[in-house]
Amino acid sequence: MKTKIFAIALAILASVSCTSLIEEFQPVFTGRYPDVPEEDYYELTPTHTIAQLAQMYSLGKGSLIPTVKGRDVIIAGRVSSSDKEGNAYKSLYIEDNTGGMEIKIGKTALYNSYRPGQLLYVRCTGLYIGMYGYKERNTQYNKYGNGMIQVGAEDPSGTYETSYIEETRLIDEHIFKGAPAAPLVPEVVTDHNKLPDWNDTQITNKYVGKYVTLKNLTYDNEIFALFYRDPNKNTKESSNRIFLSEDTFGITSWALSENKFKSVLDSGQWDDVKVGNGNDLNYGTVADHKEEIRKNATAISVSQYFKMNGSKPVLIRTSGFSKFGDYEIPEDILNGSRSIDVTGIVTLYQGSVQFVINSYDDIRYSDTGKTLPRQ
Amino acid sequence: MKKLLTIAAALLVCGAALAQSLTGGIKASVVNRAGRAPIPGAKVELFQAGESIATANADSKGAFLFDRLSDGNYNIRVSAPGFIEAQINVTVEKGMTRDLIFVTMTQSAQVSDVDESAIVEFDLDDSGYSDAPTLLFGANDVYSNVAGYGFSAIRFKNRGYNSESQDVYLAGVRMNDAITGYSPYSLWSGLNEATRSKESVNGLDLAEFGHAGYNGATYINGTPNAVRPGMRFSVLSNSAMYRLRLMANYASGQMDNGWSYAVNASARLGGNDWVDGVFYRNFAIYAGAEKKIDYANSFAIFALVTPGERGAQNASTQEVYDLMNDNLYNSNWGYQNGKVRNSRVRKTFEPVVAFKYDFKPSDSFKTSTTLLWRTGFNGYTALDWYDAPDPRPDYYRNLPSYYFMEDSDYNRTNFEKAAIATETWNYRIKEYANYQHINWDRLYNVNYASGGRSKYALEERHVDQNDINLATSFRWNPFNVLKINGGADLKFNRTENYKKINDLLGGEYYVNIDSFAERDYAINEYKVQNDLDYFLENGTAEKVVKGGKYGYDYLAQVRKARVWLNGSLEVGKFTGTVSASLGRESFWREGLVRKGLFCGLDENGDEYFDPVSGEKLTSYDRNGDVISSKGKSKVSRFTTYSLKAGVQQILGNNQRVVLNVGYFNDAPTFNQSFISARTRNSLVEGLTTIKTASADLTWQYSKGDLNARVTGFWTKIMDQTDVMSFYDDSQSSFTNFAMTGIDQRHAGIEAGVKLPLPIPGLSVSGVLSWGEYIYTSTPHMVQTMDNSAEILRDEDVPYWKSNPVYRKAADGTFEQDLEGNYVLEGERKHYVPSSPQLATQISLNYRTDSYWFFELNGQYFAHSYIDMNPLYRTDFAVGGIDEKITPEEIEYMTAQEEFAPSFLMNFSVGKSWYVGNYNVGFSLEVKNLLNNTSVKTGGYEQTRLIKSANKDRYYRFDPKYYYMCGANYMLNLYFRF
Repeated sequence: MKTKIFAIALAILASVSCTSLIEEFQPVFTGRYPDVPEEDYYELTPTHTIAQLAQMYSLGKGSLIPTVKGRDVIIAGRVSSSDKEGNAYKSLYIEDNTGGMEIKIGKTALYNSYRPGQLLYVRCTGLYIGMYGYKERNTQYNKYGNGMIQVGAEDPSGTYETSYIEETRLIDEHIFKGAPAAPLVPEVVTDHNKLPDWNDTQITNKYVGKYVTLKNLTYDNEIFALFYRDPNKNTKESSNRIFLSEDTFGITSWALSENKFKSVLDSGQWDDVKVGNGNDLNYGTVADHKEEIRKNATAISVSQYFKMNGSKPVLIRTSGFSKFGDYEIPEDILNGSRSIDVTGIVTLYQGSVQFVINSYDDIRYSDTGKTLPRQ
Repeated sequence: MKKLLTIAAALLVCGAALAQSLTGGIKASVVNRAGRAPIPGAKVELFQAGESIATANADSKGAFLFDRLSDGNYNIRVSAPGFIEAQINVTVEKGMTRDLIFVTMTQSAQVSDVDESAIVEFDLDDSGYSDAPTLLFGANDVYSNVAGYGFSAIRFKNRGYNSESQDVYLAGVRMNDAITGYSPYSLWSGLNEATRSKESVNGLDLAEFGHAGYNGATYINGTPNAVRPGMRFSVLSNSAMYRLRLMANYASGQMDNGWSYAVNASARLGGNDWVDGVFYRNFAIYAGAEKKIDYANSFAIFALVTPGERGAQNASTQEVYDLMNDNLYNSNWGYQNGKVRNSRVRKTFEPVVAFKYDFKPSDSFKTSTTLLWRTGFNGYTALDWYDAPDPRPDYYRNLPSYYFMEDSDYNRTNFEKAAIATETWNYRIKEYANYQHINWDRLYNVNYASGGRSKYALEERHVDQNDINLATSFRWNPFNVLKINGGADLKFNRTENYKKINDLLGGEYYVNIDSFAERDYAINEYKVQNDLDYFLENGTAEKVVKGGKYGYDYLAQVRKARVWLNGSLEVGKFTGTVSASLGRESFWREGLVRKGLFCGLDENGDEYFDPVSGEKLTSYDRNGDVISSKGKSKVSRFTTYSLKAGVQQILGNNQRVVLNVGYFNDAPTFNQSFISARTRNSLVEGLTTIKTASADLTWQYSKGDLNARVTGFWTKIMDQTDVMSFYDDSQSSFTNFAMTGIDQRHAGIEAGVKLPLPIPGLSVSGVLSWGEYIYTSTPHMVQTMDNSAEILRDEDVPYWKSNPVYRKAADGTFEQDLEGNYVLEGERKHYVPSSPQLATQISLNYRTDSYWFFELNGQYFAHSYIDMNPLYRTDFAVGGIDEKITPEEIEYMTAQEEFAPSFLMNFSVGKSWYVGNYNVGFSLEVKNLLNNTSVKTGGYEQTRLIKSANKDRYYRFDPKYYYMCGANYMLNLYFRF
């Protein structure tokens, strides 16, 4: 009797154990996880060049990129930008032989997924094409003009012509990675007349959006920067805006991180700058609002003005969040005794050439070809 | 045959004794511990030298008598269905009959074979949300029986108290964690048999085994002789925690040679039906030996360890739960090459070794001394990443609400993107699974492409304790009416906190720099170093490989010493109790690495300067003290004490009344005392002891099977501290938040009644816990930058304890008086979170003489509140960007969410078969019969803020919740002999 009970009990225990084991250990895996294979790369046939795609844009409004002849519009290009050093932000440039195109992908650290030189296919149908940085030409002062044609998502708020492609699945359904390759070799531009004019686009000038090396840039003793008394408040309000332009204001670095911003602010070099838009300067000076500005300090971008071959203005625009923005521009560049060669992407902002570099090593002395000291 | 021989031998012994002296004897009444009700029919077995020599059954008054015994040592085992077996050693001397008066028995919980892992541990690291429920043990009355287990699924906290207020002793040593104060049940979970023998007291009651505070205490015997003798096996399967538990136990009981030994082992394996991605792979083993050298001396040595891994569950917002159509969605896991992998795995190996020596020079005096060592490691994995997108699937930017909100003031207007995101979450198709869960394959591919440097890695956060305890105590019973107990404890704790690389996820190394510091100080190489000394020596940050430490590394050093004394005196129908303790505690932090941000002074006492900019890197706090990450912090020292007194009166009619009062002065715990222990030595300013005043009054009635208890309690806890670290959107920075002066008041009643019904074996019982646990002070907060220790805010938290309510007109607008002021209607109180403040259960029980039992119960829980984030209770967050405080903003930002009440039903059934010495049985419990999947068991507010489109105010991020499982079962089969 006892042995029988013992046997029955053991049998029940064993069977319950076994069924539990079989059922359970499939869904939750706790062993050594399998290696992950390398992802597959796509090979698609582009339907349009970048210049052809740019032709779909009509000035002044973003528009949905439709199918063409019943087929999705696909462009192909190699990655030229890198946000590794933080200068590019939520933006990816690709280029083909006809020009470069910015794809507004709303993610940070894109260089992890889209390597410089890698071939990308963009299924444009369903996305939007629009321009950023356009301002109507002022013929009296010969100022302003085109911005950059970009590919992004719809912006129903109407603030911009496109918005970021942010949602991961949306990105995955429009951006397809081709084979990785060595980084692009920049085309060297020595003739400043080849650079885009205020009304150029990818259709008319192949250097728009393209990764190039510009030779012989000399410092032009001017910067442009914009900051706010309180960036949390309405940044369109004139009383909240402070422009630094047509001078250097003691800014001798490529950009200003929050800490650097505070130190230049504290130096008093902006104290006399008036608050407000150019035609509306009735809100006192920086000195009047210094405490508020300091409390709300944040990193700001700076455009440092250079001239290529002594004539064509090129603005080197650097983000305050970039890892090299706080480096000081060497004195021999500031005083004009030496010039630089820069490698990066040619963009247009309000008709001016804004040059965006990927890495601090992309700025070199023209004479020696050496990188700048990190100081 | 052997048995016959021993019985014969015993008879011979008895016969011999008979010839000498027949006058000795042992008598007593077997009573229920709760209320001293007699237990008629209890089986009493008498042993001498390990052999059974006689058995008896208690009479209708519970009384029994063994007479005609010779002088010598005896052992009595008393058993009764529904009660935990009791054992007593008795000495018969000089031919006298020993009158033990009472042998008390503790009712066994009806489905008692669960362990503390029934309290599912959630993934709490990032939230600051505390989720350690208090457990009640010792089924010594109806209330504790139900509240201790039946309410565990709702994460009920007894009287609303925090876990650290409940003292837990193992073999005489107070085991509460030296760093957090929590009861460390996980150290022995799975060792149910080895830790089954427990004593416990409730509330302010006096504990004979050690000092207890205001939330009771549990004493786990833990020594081998206390483990139920015999061999036991059990298999348990359940669908709410782990699939399978296998357990085996053997205990010898005391053998002829005075030795006893016990072994207990178990495995808990598998996942469950409700939460995807969680799993258990936990083992537990206990082994011990005990020797009774002679009547006065015995020693025991035992060791236990519960090694294993467990995948954790995470909280998400209601938006995510709704999108997934699953309130138990777990964002911690994803697919790796088709296999489910959980990113948050707790890995533990924390052995406890104890040596206990008991000295009992006489029946009325005994002492006990224990040396106990806890060591090993406790690791918890988490994803870490450098300069790469947040990999968590429910990151707020992946949700529809990030793109579109109905209220346009949120400035989220892209309906199209929201629709795409909704679709991504809504469809249960394979292609979308990698968006709804962690996409491990993508993380690997990012690492593959980055030239050896892992951008994503799995870190393992370690809290590795070395905890040495020496505790000694005595129990002295000089007269029947007087009991005096006392003791002294020493604790030495050295805990190393660090993280190491668990898995490089396809990469070759991870770089040991601080990515948050890099964002702010990109060109300052010193400041971004997690280990500046390494950088200075090698000229570059360390490339950490698998198993390598990185990030932070510091020691928490804690020392505690305490003496305690208590006593009780019976005078007629009154019993008075007094209890006191006095202690000294100190703790400090000892940084083992020099973090660039808080480099302090170098070995020569010199300041650090940046070699490029010349900027001074050594920083000082506002008291002028250097802020340092490395080396020893200031030592915090506290004198602790407590005083308790009580009086009990036995009334006629089987009633008694007990009144207790107490005052406690406790040291703050290490984890609430440093602004940011990860990064620096800075202590919270104004750190002080926690003062608690408490009183409870109990009325108890017990007659036969009818038991009732009602207790009213009132407790005020003052001067608590809380620290947390979070991202502050108004600063775009990671910040540290230290809040001091938090007071709370807990008042309420708890009641339990068990009522036998006219049908034999049928009874109905009910319990009620109804209280008000509220915050009563306006705390002070100091907010500092994590990257610079700059003080951002130093002010009160005005909406912490309550929020004003303003009168509203019918159209919902706030009314103003003639002067334009809003009309205050009152204050809405803010409550201590998580536990329901009203918890009730009514159950119907049926037990048969053939060992069947059935129970059906209904439970109702209400008044549970969310864990508040203090940031939302500041003037700054309420006022918003325009710094104007409006009634709308106060109402929106400061109100505390109350969870909806819930009703649950549970059923259990069990049966035992006794065949000879064999006992086979099962119990089956079906919980949440109504399959209610909308019961919130806890939740916390996030700390982030959304700027309104009008740039005038802030909106909150959605809170995160934990939910209870739907219908689930637990089946336990056991076999004993």
